[in-house]
Amino acid sequence: MSDELGRALDRISRVRGMRGSMWVSAEDGLPVAQLLMEGVPGKAVAALAASLVRKVSGTAGAVGAGRVRFVQMEAAGGTLLVALAPPDLLVVALADSRVNIGLARLEMMRAAQAAGR
Amino acid sequence: MADTIRRLTGALARDPASLAYADLAEALRRKNQREEALRVALQGLSRHPMHADGHDVLARIYADMGDLDRARLAWSKVLEIAPDHGGALKGVAFVRFRQGDADAAAAALEQALAVDPSDEAARRALDTVRRTPWAPPAPPAEPAARVTESVAAPAALRDTASFAAAAAPAPTPPPLPAAPAEAARVRPPVFSGFDRSTADILLLDERGLVLAGGLVSSAGADVAEVAAAGLAGVSGEATRTGEYLGLGVWRTIVAEAESANLVVAPVGEGALILVRRDRSMPVGLALRFAERARGTASTWLAGQGA
Repeated sequence: MSDELGRALDRISRVRGMRGSMWVSAEDGLPVAQLLMEGVPGKAVAALAASLVRKVSGTAGAVGAGRVRFVQMEAAGGTLLVALAPPDLLVVALADSRVNIGLARLEMMRAAQAAGR
Repeated sequence: MADTIRRLTGALARDPASLAYADLAEALRRKNQREEALRVALQGLSRHPMHADGHDVLARIYADMGDLDRARLAWSKVLEIAPDHGGALKGVAFVRFRQGDADAAAAALEQALAVDPSDEAARRALDTVRRTPWAPPAPPAEPAARVTESVAAPAALRDTASFAAAAAPAPTPPPLPAAPAEAARVRPPVFSGFDRSTADILLLDERGLVLAGGLVSSAGADVAEVAAAGLAGVSGEATRTGEYLGLGVWRTIVAEAESANLVVAPVGEGALILVRRDRSMPVGLALRFAERARGTASTWLAGQGA
């Protein structure tokens, strides 16, 4: 894991309620770097997050919303967050329901923007 | 016409996922380039299987080719997706009449008139169907050319003298895509009172069929059907993600995009709502707006016995 990617994951993982964060290849849904709590299925998180983002992006394009930057899926038992880091990376985070989404989003968008530079 | 085909071909080359394929297929059909039109339509529909207007064009192409069974199937598909699609209702009437079922043709035309009482072509065709003493129509001497003309005209069915009289107006194809005002008119006004109730709020079922509301693109086109088809896939993906990751049932998906924020949420079992809000509205406020619309949709669905 490169220092820069690792530091970004470290910052995201400090947000309360976070169970793990990772860099994922947008195209094939494979993990590039990860920082996960015990028991979090990294490969599944990466693959499902990438697939969800593809579907959401397709719909956003169809309705004229433009390129998607951030996706959050809230469920009964937690939240999946994804920031797009063009051209080919995703910042993915899995959190429980106590998470401060605003703070998590801030850190993830910051990481995504830094990766895009 | 050649310019139109060039322009649409260019648009499709720049964006292969564009819905311009339907206009291109229609333009090719009108130029009697049926094989090419068929190829374009089928290719477009492989990307947009729930695009009603694409199936409508496909039906016209099959009708031009004299393949009435396939034409009827394609128009039936349109009506599955958009039950009030005027072009498809008139297309079904055309096929039924050609197949010797005047009652079914009249029923389809009556339905077209119920959807759009101002459709004069459908009214004249219906009058003619009712007046015509039934006899199975003789096969036209030049089926393809004659059907081309008849299908292009809304008051189709002009391969008998009586229908030719009914179909006097110049051919006017159904709008591609459907005009937003027309689409909104036939959908239940569930969200009246909400800001942009028929342009930014869409209620659909889990199979991707529109139930109420509407969605209009920045260019003014009705994109509700396309959005609904795509959203069914999003919902399935969210359910799978929730199950695999042990997150349980998903409640909302928020997508922040360049020009708008989208909120998707399930409404009871089997229905979804999509709310699109301008980027200038904070995400938290968009979520509250969506929650209010979801409540309204839930109440309406309960009233429908859904």
